[in-house]
Amino acid sequence: MEIEDAPNQHYSDLEKGEIFNNEFLPHIHSMYNFGYRLTLDRDDAKDLVQDTYFKAFRFIESFQRGTNAKAWLFRILKNSFINDYRKKVKEPNKVDYQEVETYYNSEDVDRQITQDLRVDALKDMIGDEISNALNALDVDFRTVIILCDLEGFKYEEMAKILDIPIGTVRSRLHRARQLLKEKLSEYAKSMGYKNT
Amino acid sequence: MSNLPNPFISPSGKKPNCMEMLQLILDGQATADQSEYFKTHMDHCMPCFKSYQLDMSIKELLRTKCCGGDAPSELVNKIKSQIAQNI
Ligand SMILES: [Zn+2]
Repeated sequence: MEIEDAPNQHYSDLEKGEIFNNEFLPHIHSMYNFGYRLTLDRDDAKDLVQDTYFKAFRFIESFQRGTNAKAWLFRILKNSFINDYRKKVKEPNKVDYQEVETYYNSEDVDRQITQDLRVDALKDMIGDEISNALNALDVDFRTVIILCDLEGFKYEEMAKILDIPIGTVRSRLHRARQLLKEKLSEYAKSMGYKNT
Repeated sequence: MSNLPNPFISPSGKKPNCMEMLQLILDGQATADQSEYFKTHMDHCMPCFKSYQLDMSIKELLRTKCCGGDAPSELVNKIKSQIAQNI
């Protein structure tokens, strides 16, 4: 999983081509979507994906054939985003983890938000509401929703992709779902749904 | 409910609350036994049933609305040709 690791495989050029085409390239659409959801810009997403694939190829001998290529690629993309892109843009968004912990322990809030937002309101969200709500989340929260709900990664995979403990993955996902619901209930209100 | 062993109970014996069970389900981390148990649990726990309906609808909406299509073919071709040149 570690791209920084010394190469521990040896592949012929033919094998490299096979790995790249059969194990890396099939994930390009998911990678592009991930890049876009992180940067919220199509051109930046293209740069990020291209950069990720070139890095993946350069470090291909750190990749063990038949292991989780998708998680490996997602991790490279996420690191490129943090190291290259985020530095450039300077997003001021340090998540307050103490707040996350407190929030995680308060069940009442959940019930309240749930009552605020109803399934039938969601059925009318046929436009960009959900996409806008997702994009409006802080990037750390957005990321866990993308990895879990859009890409179906498990806790352990997310922990490796994001370099955080599994407990943090869980609490971040929990908080992210709550924030997303808050955004959606704002949309629902503006669409004329009452909170009763 | 009643006699069913609760598959959510951790080895340390801690019993999770509704919210913790629901999160495992939503996050796709629940075992088959846990999913089965939760289904029965929802039959007599209205808050769980309502939250589950809502959260799963959101998850579904995310999947259908936010998996924004394919990568541009010009990007795919560029990457392919660059790599082909380097092999
Ligand atoms: Zn319950």
